[in-house]
Amino acid sequence: MYNLNLNEEQIAIRDTVCDFVKNEITPVAVHPDRLEPFDPPLPTELIDQAAELGLRALSISEEFGGAGADMLTCCIVAEELAVGDADVASVLAETANLAGILFGKLLNKEQRERLLPEFLEDNKYHIALASSEAEFDGWIGNNYCRSKTDGSPVNTKAVQDVNGNWVINGTKTRVSNATVAKLFVVQADTKDGPILLIAPKEAGGIIVNEINRDGGWYIGSCGDVIFTDCTISEENIINLNTMDVFENVGISCAINVGVARAAFEAAVEYSKIRIQGGGPIIQHQAIGAKLAEVAISLEVARTIIWRAAWTSDNESTMSEGNLTGLPLNNIAHISSTEILYKAAKDSAECFGAMGVMRDMPLQKFIHQTRMFLHSRSGNDDSKLQIAEAVAGYE
Amino acid sequence: MDFLLNEEQLEWQMKARKFAEEEIKPISLARDKIANPADTIDWELIKKGSKIGLRTAVVPKEQGGHGIDYVTQALVMAELAKGDSAMSKTFSQCWKWSHAIAAVCTDEQRKRFLKPFLDDDTFVFGSGQTEANSGSDNRMPPVGDLKAGPRLRAELDGDFWVLNGEKQFIANGNIAKLFFLTVRTDFSVPFTDGTTSLLVPWDTPGFRRGKCYNKSGWRFYQNGEMIFENARVPVSNQIGETNMALHKGDGDSSGDMFGDLELAANALGICDSACEKAISLGQNHTSGGELLKEQQLVRLKIGRMSMLTEALRSYVMRVAWEHDQRIHSTNAGLVMNLSTDTVQEVTELCMDIYDNVSGPMDAGVDKLVRDSFIWSHLAGDSVQRLKVAGRIIK
Repeated sequence: MYNLNLNEEQIAIRDTVCDFVKNEITPVAVHPDRLEPFDPPLPTELIDQAAELGLRALSISEEFGGAGADMLTCCIVAEELAVGDADVASVLAETANLAGILFGKLLNKEQRERLLPEFLEDNKYHIALASSEAEFDGWIGNNYCRSKTDGSPVNTKAVQDVNGNWVINGTKTRVSNATVAKLFVVQADTKDGPILLIAPKEAGGIIVNEINRDGGWYIGSCGDVIFTDCTISEENIINLNTMDVFENVGISCAINVGVARAAFEAAVEYSKIRIQGGGPIIQHQAIGAKLAEVAISLEVARTIIWRAAWTSDNESTMSEGNLTGLPLNNIAHISSTEILYKAAKDSAECFGAMGVMRDMPLQKFIHQTRMFLHSRSGNDDSKLQIAEAVAGYE
Repeated sequence: MDFLLNEEQLEWQMKARKFAEEEIKPISLARDKIANPADTIDWELIKKGSKIGLRTAVVPKEQGGHGIDYVTQALVMAELAKGDSAMSKTFSQCWKWSHAIAAVCTDEQRKRFLKPFLDDDTFVFGSGQTEANSGSDNRMPPVGDLKAGPRLRAELDGDFWVLNGEKQFIANGNIAKLFFLTVRTDFSVPFTDGTTSLLVPWDTPGFRRGKCYNKSGWRFYQNGEMIFENARVPVSNQIGETNMALHKGDGDSSGDMFGDLELAANALGICDSACEKAISLGQNHTSGGELLKEQQLVRLKIGRMSMLTEALRSYVMRVAWEHDQRIHSTNAGLVMNLSTDTVQEVTELCMDIYDNVSGPMDAGVDKLVRDSFIWSHLAGDSVQRLKVAGRIIK
């Protein structure tokens, strides 16, 4: 049965993260020293601190030493973290998501036993998925009602040397977690078609160039990854021919909710103390209704995101009549990014001119919700994917 | 009905267009990117603009200026804003107070202050209204509220007003040479009956400039803090009668009326820039093997952007025409409100179209959207809308 009644464990982890955010993250994240510069460094200390709560291993099964969290729980944690700082939330969510997929599904026993202990041990151990090719240009709607391509071209090459080792050459662009990763999952083309390889940073031949945070339009960590004769042993191949498994749209939506919630909470707090028009501005209809709309947006966004997460957690046990056949994650992404951007703008408006000042957090929340709105290839592209499902186009 | 521009109007429009293309556009993004908000001003640009009359355009001909009409003012502001909205505003801020000098200053004051303004290419005006306690209340004063309004105190000492207090977010606060300041001269009555206007030169003893605010948009246009510690301003610098600053009639050349048109005309320039960028991308960017303009969704967005922009243009020009005819209606306020919705939707649609280009968002499009958000607190917040609605419903 469809059930969003959070269990004790989920509530406990939510409250733990919430407290941590209030006490440790927010005071640093909203400090003018962090807000004002165009190019603030990634808050690695906060990420390390948060990692100590076990958040990197969130979705690794308990059997393998993780917390065994399902997608819904991951969304809850991501939202709470993002209320404090979206960069922290993004880095940890990316690692947790990839770790869950790798150690839970993709790696064989030998690979898991070789890599897992170090991953669990080292709180600075992060994982990155190097898939986007530098030359690839996103497109809009070109795929609508036309034959599917095999995905974007893979220009990064892997060849086996005389000893059977894989030698990787090529450049991946805008790789999330690139600057903090100790392990890269790399998609590379071979004479037999694309494969996936796991390349530890320490293997050598991997150079990461951080993308300038100013104007880089990203949240978390992001960099170009250049593989130059990066040589890894034969055992590092993953048997997988699709990248779909790595999709984590739901979690990025949850981070977006967290950002908009931070804006909302700030606006409510300020509207109670700001006196204009003869009283606290929250007592004015115009501001009251605006904050109500923001509250509605947060509830609506969270509902569709949680439904998508719950569905993905329960898909295998759901009978056919329960599924709409539409891509719920995509629907959650489109509907939430649009209303959350407006929610952040409306929250900022309560602050008047302070809503645009760089030493105040509101402008950051607007910028971040804007980046979510324009993430992936944009919402038109996402809508056309839904259109294909609606049209029954195969 | 006649929508044709006369020769003089066309001449100014072309002059402004040329200046925007040749002088403003080439430096716009670079000035926007300067991290220290106090360093964004480019005096060479101000001097060049001043030499072709942009700074002094609105001073009446008989007082030594160019005396351009409102239609021309709207045209010029839009053209300059198409190059850079914040640079346009830096020039038009001088016009706002040129109107005020012409309307409310005495001949003696005009002689004393207009000559240095006309002679000095780097002389710009500022105005000081906003204080920590007095933001929205300046626009829509709460009736009978003794606690509301400016607290910057002015007390008579012989032939001088002695000023103590602070102003916030003041336009051109860090660079202006003459300020139009509202000060509290009677605390025993609501500020609407206890506020006086003074002309305050930047070198007034006891006045100093405070911090320059670090804004997320309109970075070229500086807002600063003003601090007064026993600052002595001669009574001869007083504008109008004591305690009567907010009793200005609805004169057809008052600064406020210009201010409404100013924001709308400036927004129009941003919209023009957004349309131009979107159309150019559609015509030149290839995605998935075909030009972007072949995409229906791109065409629909460009159609909507153009529709909204042309509707705003019609309304802006109508209001400018009304001002020239000395018709005083609520249209000025309404077009200001509308310009907020229009400039934000048009620039955001432009950003949607730029989603089709891979990598980070185009810096110019990002700037247009950031600049447009300034309208949320200047022209389109609840108070600005309620104020105009109040005039309609009385």
